[in-house]
Amino acid sequence: MQIKPILSALRRHKAGTFLIAMQIALTLAIVCNALFIIHQRIAHLSEPTGIDEPNIFVIKSEWVGHPDSARVDAMIREDLQVLRQVAGVQNVTPSNSYPLRGSGWDDSVKLKPDQLQDSSGATIYFADQNFIDTLGLKLIAGRNFRADEIGHMDMRYRLAPPVVIVTKALVQKLFPGEDAVGKTIYLIGGPGTIVGVVDLLQAQSVERWASDFAYRSVIIPERLNISLGSFYIVRAQPGQLDSAMHAAVKALFAQNPRRVINDDDGVLSFSDVRSRAYESDRGMAILMGVISVVLLAVTAAGIVGLTSFWVGQRRKQIGVRRALGATRRDILRYFMTENLLISSGGALFGVLLAIAMNLWMVTRFEMHRLSLTYLVIGAVMLLLLGQGAVLAPALRASRVPPVEATRSV
Amino acid sequence: MLKMTHLSKVYRTEVVETYALRDFNINVNEGEFVAVTGPSGSGKTTFLTIAGLLETFTGGQYHLDGVEVSNLNDNERSRIRNEKIGFIFQAFNLIPDLNVFDNVEVPLRYRGMKTAERKERIMNALERVGLASRAKHYPAELSGGQQQRVAIARALAGSPRLLLADEPTGNLDTQMARGVMELLEEIHREGATIVMVTHDPELAARAQRNVHIIDGQVVDLAEDPRFHHAVTSARAGSPA
Repeated sequence: MQIKPILSALRRHKAGTFLIAMQIALTLAIVCNALFIIHQRIAHLSEPTGIDEPNIFVIKSEWVGHPDSARVDAMIREDLQVLRQVAGVQNVTPSNSYPLRGSGWDDSVKLKPDQLQDSSGATIYFADQNFIDTLGLKLIAGRNFRADEIGHMDMRYRLAPPVVIVTKALVQKLFPGEDAVGKTIYLIGGPGTIVGVVDLLQAQSVERWASDFAYRSVIIPERLNISLGSFYIVRAQPGQLDSAMHAAVKALFAQNPRRVINDDDGVLSFSDVRSRAYESDRGMAILMGVISVVLLAVTAAGIVGLTSFWVGQRRKQIGVRRALGATRRDILRYFMTENLLISSGGALFGVLLAIAMNLWMVTRFEMHRLSLTYLVIGAVMLLLLGQGAVLAPALRASRVPPVEATRSV
Repeated sequence: MLKMTHLSKVYRTEVVETYALRDFNINVNEGEFVAVTGPSGSGKTTFLTIAGLLETFTGGQYHLDGVEVSNLNDNERSRIRNEKIGFIFQAFNLIPDLNVFDNVEVPLRYRGMKTAERKERIMNALERVGLASRAKHYPAELSGGQQQRVAIARALAGSPRLLLADEPTGNLDTQMARGVMELLEEIHREGATIVMVTHDPELAARAQRNVHIIDGQVVDLAEDPRFHHAVTSARAGSPA
């Protein structure tokens, strides 16, 4: 290998060498962190909700006028009855919210009434006895609500249900290693006895602020009556989602036309819900991806540009080397090795820069620590990019004929 | 050692064919010191580039050290250049980014020689040209004469069968030129075969034999009376 003479030649071209190495270092640092963020976002938007997503759709029905709580409850029950008759509908439940909706009722949970500090945060889902079946939840302990336990309340009432169903994640937080059925938790309005535990039910928000209680949910046996409108979560028979969505809206209007079901978000399949919930995560991942690709392209262009310049500048020198016995392969290897040395220096510094950048983001934006895998992948990617970018000018150099040595210009 | 028979070199464009060498014949024996002379544009440099396998030829035959070279591929030509030929260029052609030691090392590296042997050959060659103490200097830190000595050391280090020199003193002043020429003569006395292209009658006179080229063909020196007279005068030691 010709590493020593290449290094001594590079020492005489410090500015170009330094600039391209720094470009590689900076690209590596940014791309490593960008890939890490992309991976985190993708992992985030793949988190399970715990519900039967392919067959579920949600309807937001807004009431015309300002009906009182009792009237709203009556209308909700009428709607539920109508929806159950719709062809292709397996079950339906009213609720104030659903996973990934992005807004709803989150509250604190305590183990004692006089406790000052919360034991946990949790999303509160108002539901009836059909909630578990409609969402396709798995009851892993205790029982479902009975029909006679379902009440109704409006926003002015205090939250004090006699019985509740909670998620396994909340049980693990509140009663680790214990059987939670029969135990009491305290919500803002009073105590509730746990009668059942479901395996998995994601919170309504996927934002960072809700990440502490992402799967800690409490299901309350109440229909929440709000004069503005209600949500119906509908589970369609497998394969009948589209027709059921269409028929359900038609049936609701036929039953009571004094309502508004918005064209934009009045009826959403759960895949639409998921898509809307993770729009910013997906956008961020795409943005990071585009930035990475642009940076890699700029770096590759920089390497091509500098190497092409050097090849042009050293044309005579290449001819001399060929005259002295270098084969085309020797010339190709010279430029590839030269690039590998510059890229390795850049990659080494880039790894340190990537770690520093990540540590800064960890302290400023609560990011996770960058894993070593990303640094290795990033460094290998940049080295391969460098070798790929230098190939064309290096091949051009290898085609310089030996007779170039005798030319005077 | 070097034999060209009916050799031709034609440069073709879409509209014209130019013969740089035509029915060119030359035979250089082992241990000879031959000066190839001729006016500008006569084909001297074309002859040298073909002799040094830097360029291919159009027709005829060329045997170098017993090998017919016309059918060799690029790698084989590179190997022969590396192992059998030493080049001395008019413009020295040292690599400016490398110091003297590294410059002399260039052809040896392409031969895949071991480090210890390379080092020994480099230092011997540099001592031979009187520049061992300048091994760490860069070309820009040397005079023209010293640079040409480094180029000669580079050519000698590989122990070539044939030294090809293209106007080796063309870029040097008289004193430096004399030093370089004495060095070439000394190398020849030690048994090297040297073919030197020059248009300088005084240098040509110091070679054992002159081959004169006009219009791409070898001619009798007498056909160029002025040059013939200049060479004869130089040989006799009197001014032309």
